[in-house]
Amino acid sequence: MDEEYDAIVLGTGLKECILSGMLSVSGKKVLHIDRNKYYGGESASLTPLSELFTKFGAPAPDESTYGRGRDWNVDLIPKFLMANGQLVKLLIHTGVTRYLEFKCVEGSYVYKGGKISKVPVDQKEALASDLMGMFEKRRFRNFLLFVQDLKEDDPRTWKDLDINSTTTLQLYEKFGLDKNTQDFTGHALAFYRDDAYLDDLAIKTIRRIKLYSDSLARYGKSPYLYPMYGLGELPQGFARLSAIYGGTYMLDKPVDEIVLENGKVVGVRSGSEVARCKQVYCDPSYVPERVKKVGQVIRCICLLNHPVANTKNALSTQIIIPQKQVNRRSDIYISVVSYTHQVAAEGWFIAMVSTTVETADPSKEIQPALDLLGAVHQKFIHVSDYFEPTDNGTESQIFISSSYDATTHFETTCMDVVDIFKRGTGEDFDFSKVKADLGQEEQ
Amino acid sequence: MASIKVPEQKVILCGEYGVGKSSLFRRYAYDTFVSGSSRQLTLGLDHYNKEYRINDKSIGLQLWDTGGMERVASITSSYYKFAEAAILVFSLDNAASFHVLSQHLLEIVTYAENAKIFLCGNKMDLEGSTPQVTEADMESFCEQCHNLISATYKTSCKTGEGVEEMFRDIAYHLVQSNRSRIELQSVDVNAFKIAPAEEVTEPSCLC
Repeated sequence: MDEEYDAIVLGTGLKECILSGMLSVSGKKVLHIDRNKYYGGESASLTPLSELFTKFGAPAPDESTYGRGRDWNVDLIPKFLMANGQLVKLLIHTGVTRYLEFKCVEGSYVYKGGKISKVPVDQKEALASDLMGMFEKRRFRNFLLFVQDLKEDDPRTWKDLDINSTTTLQLYEKFGLDKNTQDFTGHALAFYRDDAYLDDLAIKTIRRIKLYSDSLARYGKSPYLYPMYGLGELPQGFARLSAIYGGTYMLDKPVDEIVLENGKVVGVRSGSEVARCKQVYCDPSYVPERVKKVGQVIRCICLLNHPVANTKNALSTQIIIPQKQVNRRSDIYISVVSYTHQVAAEGWFIAMVSTTVETADPSKEIQPALDLLGAVHQKFIHVSDYFEPTDNGTESQIFISSSYDATTHFETTCMDVVDIFKRGTGEDFDFSKVKADLGQEEQ
Repeated sequence: MASIKVPEQKVILCGEYGVGKSSLFRRYAYDTFVSGSSRQLTLGLDHYNKEYRINDKSIGLQLWDTGGMERVASITSSYYKFAEAAILVFSLDNAASFHVLSQHLLEIVTYAENAKIFLCGNKMDLEGSTPQVTEADMESFCEQCHNLISATYKTSCKTGEGVEEMFRDIAYHLVQSNRSRIELQSVDVNAFKIAPAEEVTEPSCLC
């Protein structure tokens, strides 16, 4: 440990592992430390099942009920990958995709008036959907066609709309979409978590809907992907990338002090050892004095031995409950994965409910979601604080990631990573630096 | 998807830092040997595909190196996932690297429970000078492991002795054990790797 590094990365959560991989690939000498004896931090998938029960102080699970403990890999933070999103691009450009296998999530549903309906994603589904009346369907279809055909660099496709000044609400009004349609479009297709976007630029909403439909076009059934053996495989893949490019890994290593000189980081101390460095990259848990709490996220892990009702027995689904439907200010998300992803024993499903906390009684807030799940065998609720760094790190050279938010996919995660990388290195990540000489490429 | 391709069989190298895993990888992949031990030498080694023909059947071995993660930390559990075979490597002139193998074996059976396991004593060129692990030791290890070990080998990456023979024999074992599976192509058909999107110059028309 007593060496000098360009960067020391603390914590092996997904964001830190992507950063570690990107820094190593850029030729930096990286030391990557985790205080835990496992990879992944909060992004780990817990295995065997008893680890999950122990974490929440529950009596050990019975194998005659839950099957073999090590057939389970339970995520603590539920998210899906958008098939055409940032993380998939990062996986492909860095070659980390070779370490992983994925399955397409089978369906995407939205909650309306106490029941769930499939999110219509193309004109054919829009016409068959039970979310809208006859005339509304036509208007929605026209809207979808407009969005799909729109090209930002070709004003002819803008249809008399100034995409640089029009708000989303004006866009909706132009197509005559009613409140209900606006609701599922904004929340289930564009993934806005509240309604502030209505007054923001329409082009932002259009880009998000395009991401949804481009992702859907990649693999078919839904725009989401989920890795075999759980999300914990993602940080491990990037950790391997970092190691292959020379990054050194230390687990189970306490971090006692981040050593500063004149307000600038010079090293990290563990016990009596000090590793010197020019920069530190870390998650909020390593620097409690340099982050501020900006909110809370509630996540509820539910173990079920049946699929969710009205999802055509799907082995994986996402269900979005738009805020307005349940008189809230932020959406509630449900993600369901199962034994088909090697994250649960045969016949079992893991449903995760998550949302931003709005009241003093967060477990009551997620009740509408729990009502959709039916009989829940075991339920674990955890409320976690959401932290953001108090500064951008340029002075101290300590670059801190934000906590994982309640969003249902990795887009904000990647935006944070790319932004931190740029702040830390002064440059955009150059994907061409990832050479193809790692063994040999897939043919 | 016109032709059915025999899936590559993932083979992983396991064992202590410095026993010659990367040297085995390099012999297998490029038939080269670099003397001296420097961390730098393991840089950039990821995995390498090679075809073997065993009695009219062709099988692809995909050998994986650890990336040097075991130097200070432990290897990620995902390294073991999807492995069809694991080679427990130790150095014949280093008894400690041999006695610690039960720990590595435990990780293999935990994370890659269907993998066939092989035992490889490397650095046989040094064995004469300081013989620390004998054939009898290797045999009794296999007995203690309740026959989990499919075969044992002795290799020298320095001279190349035994290396190619070992991989060929592992390929043979995998063909034998996977015969029905390879023929039935019963690998999970729904799981896939993600690949770059086809570059479409003209977006498809929706009309």
